[in-house]
Amino acid sequence: MATTYTLISSVTVGSGGAANMQFTSIPATYTDLLLQISARSDEAGANWSEGRITFNGSSTSYTTRYLLGTGSGTASGAGTTAAVYGGRGTAADATANTFGSSFVYIPNYTSSNFKSVSTDEVTENNATAALAFLNAGLWSNTAAITSITIVANPGNLVQYSTAYLYGIS
Amino acid sequence: MAITSIKTGSSFKNLIKYNDFLAGNAAFQPTAYESIATVTVGAGGSSTITFSSIPSTYQHLQIRGIIKSSRTGSARNDLIIKLNGSSTTYAHHQLYGDGASAAALGTASTTQGLLGINCVPSSGYTSQFGVVVADILDYANTNKNKTIRSLAGTDNNGAGFTSLSSALWYATPVAVTSIDLTVDGAYNFEQYTKFGLFGIKGA
Repeated sequence: MATTYTLISSVTVGSGGAANMQFTSIPATYTDLLLQISARSDEAGANWSEGRITFNGSSTSYTTRYLLGTGSGTASGAGTTAAVYGGRGTAADATANTFGSSFVYIPNYTSSNFKSVSTDEVTENNATAALAFLNAGLWSNTAAITSITIVANPGNLVQYSTAYLYGIS
Repeated sequence: MAITSIKTGSSFKNLIKYNDFLAGNAAFQPTAYESIATVTVGAGGSSTITFSSIPSTYQHLQIRGIIKSSRTGSARNDLIIKLNGSSTTYAHHQLYGDGASAAALGTASTTQGLLGINCVPSSGYTSQFGVVVADILDYANTNKNKTIRSLAGTDNNGAGFTSLSSALWYATPVAVTSIDLTVDGAYNFEQYTKFGLFGIKGA
């Protein structure tokens, strides 16, 4: 167990929804960052939506490698993206009042090396189709992470979506 | 031991004198991660582990466990979760691998949630236990159904599984106040199975 597990900040989406959940001015006083995200998007015609995380406002130099299950099948893939996959939520066709659940870990977020990210994410739905998603991401940038932005792709995040950012030492 | 005074000639050298006793010390940071309860199964085993009277004062809950079941003859053994004593309105999904291939499953409108393949059977695996870490985010939120995410696995030195699972309790959203854990198939937890329930603060 980590010697410290400290809440840095949290975001709760209010009525009307939001385009993103954002953390700024992240202090450099911890070793690792941990995000717990409970999200749902308004994307129509889907049971789940893609969650994307960007650092320091950058939309370049991200790569990703994942394993997923859809409730009936599996797949694995990789790619160069404009964000790290993370914070995946349910979407408009999923059971009402149901949100995804994501764990995002960012070790050594202030180091001068590239930033590795691991995520395990699930969506839920009272049907066979729901997503389980394991991902390893890389942001090929040496800057310390000072801000994090979480979006649904496509769509907006709906009311009661939450994100909690913790510092781990 | 409280330090009440430091005299000249002691081993403390070149100390800065502050008028405020907090100055010069690192600020105390209370942890956001606290133990709520722990259960260890005794001799004779146990059919159900229950965490009850869970306070609503945290933002998230986490369950951590090491598990052995009384089942014999099978390496696959699932951990079951039920919330607030309910046996209705669950769904569950799983992505799992057995060391050779990956597979997925999904079940709707069922009586229980799965927390993954993590119960090592008693036969042939004397000193081995499976593991699970499960999170219930926003467990006291009355606007959200409860989604449980869990990472689990067993390694039996030649067989085993790893899994990422989710369970949904889609009854009218209420705060989670109790959690029941059992082994799929009505087997018992064996001695030394251990679960911890932790609260993670959000304010």
